[in-house]
Amino acid sequence: MAMTQKQRILAAARKQPVDRLPVGARIDVWYNYHSGHDTLPEKYRGWSIPDILRDQGAGIQLRHRAIWETEYRDTEVVIHEDPPYTTTEYRTPKGTVTMKTMFTPQEGPWIPYEVELPFKSPDDYPAIEHLLENTVLVPYWDDYLRKVEMVGEDGLVLVTASYSPMQEIMRTIMGYERFFFELYDHPSQVEHLYELMKGVVWQKLNILAESPVEIPEVCGNWSDDIHTPVFRKYFVPWFQKAVEFLHSKGKLTHAHIDGEMKRLIPMFLETGIDVAEAWSPAPMTFVTTAELRKSWGDKVAIWGGVPAVLFEPQYSDEEFDDYVMNLFREIAPGYSFILGMGDNVAFDGKIERVGRMAELADKYGRLPIEI
Amino acid sequence: MFNYSTLIQAVVDGNHIKSVELANEALKGGVSPQDIVGSGLQAGMRIVGDKFSTGNFFVPEMLLAARAVSRAMEVLQPHISAADMPILGRVVIGTVFGDIHDIGKNIVAAFLRGAGFEVFDLGINIPTASFVEAVKEHNPDILGMSALITTTMHTMTDVIKALEGAELRSKVKVIVGGAPVTQHFVEHIGADGYGADGGSAIRLCRNLVGK
Repeated sequence: MAMTQKQRILAAARKQPVDRLPVGARIDVWYNYHSGHDTLPEKYRGWSIPDILRDQGAGIQLRHRAIWETEYRDTEVVIHEDPPYTTTEYRTPKGTVTMKTMFTPQEGPWIPYEVELPFKSPDDYPAIEHLLENTVLVPYWDDYLRKVEMVGEDGLVLVTASYSPMQEIMRTIMGYERFFFELYDHPSQVEHLYELMKGVVWQKLNILAESPVEIPEVCGNWSDDIHTPVFRKYFVPWFQKAVEFLHSKGKLTHAHIDGEMKRLIPMFLETGIDVAEAWSPAPMTFVTTAELRKSWGDKVAIWGGVPAVLFEPQYSDEEFDDYVMNLFREIAPGYSFILGMGDNVAFDGKIERVGRMAELADKYGRLPIEI
Repeated sequence: MFNYSTLIQAVVDGNHIKSVELANEALKGGVSPQDIVGSGLQAGMRIVGDKFSTGNFFVPEMLLAARAVSRAMEVLQPHISAADMPILGRVVIGTVFGDIHDIGKNIVAAFLRGAGFEVFDLGINIPTASFVEAVKEHNPDILGMSALITTTMHTMTDVIKALEGAELRSKVKVIVGGAPVTQHFVEHIGADGYGADGGSAIRLCRNLVGK
């Protein structure tokens, strides 16, 4: 009996035998844009992402954000909705900080995005420290389980669970620019925040460890021109501990590697992370899949491989086919690899190329791949 | 006699406190602002740009160096007249509509200012019409657009078409940059140049204005 897409994805992630190349496609950016503009292809109006991917013949990657609800002790949280913006005020005894996010299918990246982060100046350290000391995460995965049921055996639901503690500070508290200025100007205060953030992230890991999530995300959104200087000191040791812990609970781990990875490739191997998802090779980055495979061997399972730009009209159908066929040659014999996009299909991407990718995988993806 | 190597090193080290201190020291010592900029700040930036292009420096070092240059320029600006330091060219720069990433743009803007360009930074999430209006208002030599995600880079095409529609395209060079931007894309949309990194953007701009 043939394996299901879900079984293939999990087997590839575990570096176990697989009958065919698994496919786990992600199209939420394309879907959100067209749903919001009422421009979904006629056939797909009213359809869900999983059903569209099934119709295209592709395995499914669906994403879910957190499997917990966040509470803050001794803090008043006030939310102001001014669509498309949501401003959250955190009123603590040590001061008030605010965060602003945007989501609309009408503009922007078509997924929720921070436009203003809580840390604006060193005056905000006391309030931020208070928030981190008083964060309580309460497990909640009913919504996640609903998505799992929606996807069934046709793919996997990945949880965008957690960043490493320093990435949380860089990405969700300060922003990269402010972070590096603060690390230079007030290193001991940044290090203190780092220690406090570890406590919050450990709460996340403990919840993930007890949850039904198979391959929790432990970090992502790196770019080697930003992260290389801090990766060895703040990321590698953290991941080694996090991965060891999650492995002890029977979980695999993944990182969302949608940026330039060239100078991070050697250090990534030291982390022990099992799956590198959202792999976005050249021409969107400076590394080919062949180079990545050569660097990592089969120590890391890779998910992705077809860069988002290849789905766009600037590339012809012939160029798309050539790229995918060459990718198959680069990954042959094809083990420990899950075919997908790096990392989404943009609003002007051709949805039929998702089907074409699946069709080529079906035709040439019996393992071991021999082309 | 002022020791430029200390100011150069302050820029390379990203030490904004030292760069301000040394800029003030040089001014008090009678060094002309244009010499402080040229032999100190710009010399430091060239080293930083080269180190970035060769992979020895990363964005954090560029950010700190850009800050060191910007803070020193704040000290020097009141002492600089247009006649003393003619600008190399005028640049309008912004992150495209729907995109809020700006680290690369900010670094490029700071370095271009330090290199002698007059820069109008429009900010982030800039609608197509605003780019066109800015070109009409500032009459730049170069329009620079940044995008960090594939979902927003298509608006660069819209801007170029809008410039054509407004009969402005032939009057301005268009350069683009950002992670998803490739040479293939640049040729596809008809832009004039592509900066693979912040360091190369300055060389590109100099080439485009013929200096």
